[in-house]
Amino acid sequence: MTPKRLQGCARKGTTTLAYRLGIDIGGTFTDATLIDEDTGEIRIAKVPSTPQDPSVGFLEGTHRILRRNNVAPAEVSYVVHGATVATNSIIEGKVARTGFITTDGFRDMLEIARQVRPSLYDLQFEKPKPLVPRNLCFGVPERLDAQGQVLTPLDEAAVRRVAEQLRRERVAAVAVCLLHAYANPDHEKRVGEIIGEVFPEAVVSLSSEVAPEFREYFRASTTVINAAIRPVVARYLERIEKRLREEGLAAELLLMQSSGGVFTFAEARRKPVFMVESGPAAGVIAAAYLGNNLGYEDVIAFDMGGTTAKVGLIRNGEPKVTKDYEVGAAARVGGGSHRGAGYPIRTPVIDLVEIGAGGGSIAWVDSGGILRVGPRSAGADPGPACYGKGGTEPTVTDANLVLGRLSPDLFLGGEIELDVQAARQAIERRCADPLGMDAVEAAHGIVEIANAAMVNALRLVSIQRGYDPRDFALLAFGGAGPVHANRLAKETGMPTTIIPMSPGTTSALGLLVTDLKHDYSTTMIERIDRLDIAAAESAYQAMEARGRATLERENVGPERMSFQRQVDMRYVGQSHELTPSLPHSPLNAAEISRVLEQFHQEHNRAYGFSAPGEPVEFVNLRLTAIGRITKPRLRELEPRRGAPEPAAALKATRPVYFAESDGYVDCPIYDRYRLAAGHVLTGPAIVVELDSTTVIHPGYRAEVDRFGNLILGET
Amino acid sequence: MNAVTRLDPIRFEVIRHALVEATEEMAITLRRSAYSTNIKTRADFSCAFFDRHLRPIAQASGQPIHLGSLAVLLPRVINEYGPEKLAPGDAILANDPYLGGVHLNDITLISPLYHQDELFGYVASLVHHVDVGGGAPASIGAFREVYQEGIIIPPVRLVQGGEIVPDIFRLVLAQIRSQRETAGDFRAQLAANNTGVRRLSALLSQRGSEELTFYMDELVTYTERRARAELAHLPKGVFTADGYVDNDGFSDEPVHLAAKVVIDDGGVLFDFSGSDPQRRAPVNSTYAMTYSACAYVLKCLIDPDVPVNAGFHRLVRLIAPEGTVVNATAPAPVVGGWETQTRLTDVILKALAAAVPDRVPAGTKAMICQVGLGGADPRTGELYAYYEALAGGYGGRATRDGPDAVQAHGQNTENAPIEEIEINYPFRISRYELVENSEGAGRYRGGLGLRRDYLFPDHEVSFTVLADRDRWGPWGLFGGRAGRKARYVLNPDSEATELGSKVTLELKPGDVVSYRTCGGGGYGPPEERDPRAVLTDVGEGKVSPERAREVYRVAIDPTARRIDAKETTRLRAERNNDPGI
Repeated sequence: MTPKRLQGCARKGTTTLAYRLGIDIGGTFTDATLIDEDTGEIRIAKVPSTPQDPSVGFLEGTHRILRRNNVAPAEVSYVVHGATVATNSIIEGKVARTGFITTDGFRDMLEIARQVRPSLYDLQFEKPKPLVPRNLCFGVPERLDAQGQVLTPLDEAAVRRVAEQLRRERVAAVAVCLLHAYANPDHEKRVGEIIGEVFPEAVVSLSSEVAPEFREYFRASTTVINAAIRPVVARYLERIEKRLREEGLAAELLLMQSSGGVFTFAEARRKPVFMVESGPAAGVIAAAYLGNNLGYEDVIAFDMGGTTAKVGLIRNGEPKVTKDYEVGAAARVGGGSHRGAGYPIRTPVIDLVEIGAGGGSIAWVDSGGILRVGPRSAGADPGPACYGKGGTEPTVTDANLVLGRLSPDLFLGGEIELDVQAARQAIERRCADPLGMDAVEAAHGIVEIANAAMVNALRLVSIQRGYDPRDFALLAFGGAGPVHANRLAKETGMPTTIIPMSPGTTSALGLLVTDLKHDYSTTMIERIDRLDIAAAESAYQAMEARGRATLERENVGPERMSFQRQVDMRYVGQSHELTPSLPHSPLNAAEISRVLEQFHQEHNRAYGFSAPGEPVEFVNLRLTAIGRITKPRLRELEPRRGAPEPAAALKATRPVYFAESDGYVDCPIYDRYRLAAGHVLTGPAIVVELDSTTVIHPGYRAEVDRFGNLILGET
Repeated sequence: MNAVTRLDPIRFEVIRHALVEATEEMAITLRRSAYSTNIKTRADFSCAFFDRHLRPIAQASGQPIHLGSLAVLLPRVINEYGPEKLAPGDAILANDPYLGGVHLNDITLISPLYHQDELFGYVASLVHHVDVGGGAPASIGAFREVYQEGIIIPPVRLVQGGEIVPDIFRLVLAQIRSQRETAGDFRAQLAANNTGVRRLSALLSQRGSEELTFYMDELVTYTERRARAELAHLPKGVFTADGYVDNDGFSDEPVHLAAKVVIDDGGVLFDFSGSDPQRRAPVNSTYAMTYSACAYVLKCLIDPDVPVNAGFHRLVRLIAPEGTVVNATAPAPVVGGWETQTRLTDVILKALAAAVPDRVPAGTKAMICQVGLGGADPRTGELYAYYEALAGGYGGRATRDGPDAVQAHGQNTENAPIEEIEINYPFRISRYELVENSEGAGRYRGGLGLRRDYLFPDHEVSFTVLADRDRWGPWGLFGGRAGRKARYVLNPDSEATELGSKVTLELKPGDVVSYRTCGGGGYGPPEERDPRAVLTDVGEGKVSPERAREVYRVAIDPTARRIDAKETTRLRAERNNDPGI
């Protein structure tokens, strides 16, 4: 069956392609999202994840949402998947048996890694175990210099012997990373060919294809991860594809990449390292999409769930992307201390700061008598004390409940009844009594400490990168995000806070609103004043040709293709690059001097100084090939009739604690589903819906926009 | 301004994080904007914040050796200069080892922080600069006195009113081989300090000086309280050990280090009385260096979550007699002081093996293992200097092996990517791999050392080895064997001349210098090692089958990749009956 062309906005009635399906696999739940392309209406289904074989949860979620909404598989226009299979196989060590080939004399590249301890003061530290054991790492005689000139020719007989040995060792995959292959891929290509002759069953990943950038260990690590997860990812994707096709689903199947773009299952099978952080990217993409729709191009995305909070920055409508990432190492505030804790990859990853502050984070008093929150989490089982499932340690959720910010009977649409008494007792025993405070004071403290950690995360993605948070809107989602968002905006001076509809499923929406994307790079270290402009232009064109070919394989028509050029630049002698954009037109001297000017400015913004007299160089040329996908329309609400105060949506009134009011005040509780466009709520107020709760503090107001978003700002 | 009388534990936690974060932002700024590989890639620097009473308050996670020494250095530098002479926008530069400093490459830049015209505190960045002049490129080598080691900078005001003072800057740079690179590194250091000042000023305007001061005091008290609570878990007593730096670069007479550690209710006393007198050789540690070894060890023994500030430092007491290798006086050379300092850390841990046997490693690399080189770059004619420090084996621990090829103790600098080196400098790395069979055998073995070969294809170079461990490998603990010693070899594939561990050579085009760093010591008797772990090591080629049989008493059939259980039992029984053991 040939997949249909990606059409996007086909109309019901004229064609049956009318729905987009997103499947987002999380630790606990697999979320299925269905968008009606005609109306923009979004429907959600949640099924339990199936970690043993996530494809079971994938198919179950697909069946459930299609059945429930009477949609036939043939009516689905395309499917986007946010997968954890790549990450999990690395973290759990369930990767394919892989061989590694490098230049003779350097076989221990993976063992030595960065030669550092991941934690400074821990005498019991461990280095991450290489994904390829040493007996499957081989050096072959050959050597290039930094310009890619051959110093020692490739010893093909030696390559043949290594390939034979790898076959005897029954490896499933081979990663090849030769020194300076970014400058000249000939030797690597030849190694690939010889393996193909001797041992055609093996899947081969070449560093010059996967991540052709200098710094050998990082390129090798990226290539090894790609090789080691290829067989695992391929099996998984094939299983899903086969079943879906059997069931009559003809749509193109796409995967979320770590960069926030999507690519086809076929591309994912070749370069799975690009989807290692597939899951977290979706939330930021959703935030960018919503922001763009609402006219906010500069947005900070804040996603708070049960165990962590994630913060990402969107500038000019584009999420910030990093190339400095380690798989299997928690990203932390501060960063510097834990380098070397995981496996580095050099593919674009959406720049997120993730901290251990979620609804389930546990509050405790340390040996110095100070109240602390996290990083331990009560998770879903036993969960917070108020779940009544045996948890005795107080959590952020318990604290919010005691403060009246969560409704005991309205949590998760009433599926769980929360036990206020249990929450209060846990806080008293573990926090309030040891500190000599009352339970309310301690509960407020727990929430404020969690808020402080999140404020630091907000600063980290903004101030520390040279951006002022006051120039950004805060877009908050995840089950717990809207509970805390107003307070964070107040603390950081962010003028506008946006709470989208159904915040618990915002991440899944991200799957359905992103474009096809392929990232390429070429190392070209050259001082700008000596730059061979024609050579740089032809390098860009070569990458563009690769991108075009890939998009064509994905059935993207030329009218929907676009290509973005960027370049890593630095002062000669530095090693951390900044990456300004170039226009998509042949390079010329005027463009070069414009980008140079932009580089000086960005350097000044990022580090507080620039050195216009100093020589500047290009390092890596980057190209992103984009296949545009028509975005779904957001559904609009009915405008309000009558007064701005939504009297009909008022559900109840109950005492809620606000520090601004020096204690509990009577606070109206509104039903979000009964709000109409144009309604205005004045804080203190609380808005409840199935999957989240929004807290509006005194001094703030919230207006309902035409899409149903709550837009919070100072009164 | 309202008086703060009662501690709000919530605000406390918020402020504590904000202070640390300010120093972390300094570190990120420095790393990203620096020029030399040693800073930008290897992260050989540290950043911290001090209050106006010169007490350390917060620090970024950097190089532990620097952080301990900054606590000693900053107060002396500021007192020497006179805080009253400073004004907003100023910054002081210093590296004088005998005014609280360490070795000359480590240059500190200190910026005062003001709030409403009143001095509030200081931010400091300490950076290992790749070259500070002196007798050899990268400013390391075996010299007789500190004056040969490079430029000595007493506290001077490099920055006045936000502007670099050109006369001083030019004078400093004129002493330095890698002028352009180092000028860039100084700018990065200043950018880091400016970042720290900006962040802390914002915090001050938000909280006010009185409130922030109150919470900083509370932070120090809290830290001391927690550190003492942690200390109560350590066994009280007096614990001693001896150790050596293998030679001093001029004589083969080992440099004796004596450590006595006294744990009591007052804290931990580190007494190094009995260590050798200082030498006219590159093995002298300054007081600040020695202090940082003690602070590092104490930090390792308590909950890693305890912050490091003046409250923590109150628990560290130090006796380091003047005129010895652990507290040298002018004009003794100090460039190799870190070699001594890191060995001293190993000796302290050895002493503590009696107190907390399951928490300390066997002997580790415990040398900085420095590589310094330079010459005229044939591509440009410009002088260049290059510096790096190599990893080695870590010691085995009570329940786990020592990792292969890592930095030890106060040193945690990264390796420089070979491709980055070969793009930026006119030499090549021709080999970089683990040294097989170099581990100290044990129930839990030590880590393997590594080999790194430097090839200079087309120009003359001054090359300095400043390292150690060429006579004895790191010791084993509780029956574990010592790791294999290090070797430094000129032209390993032709005449293979063994070099000393502290030597400067003039190399011809085509010469190769090969480092083979030491393995870590083993923990517990090797014949008690799990045979399956031995099988893995043999399978991965880290240990040879012969060595497995002789040292671990495990018989392995290398073709079948199996343990010969019967033969192993026999070998191990034979071993146990051997009266010689």
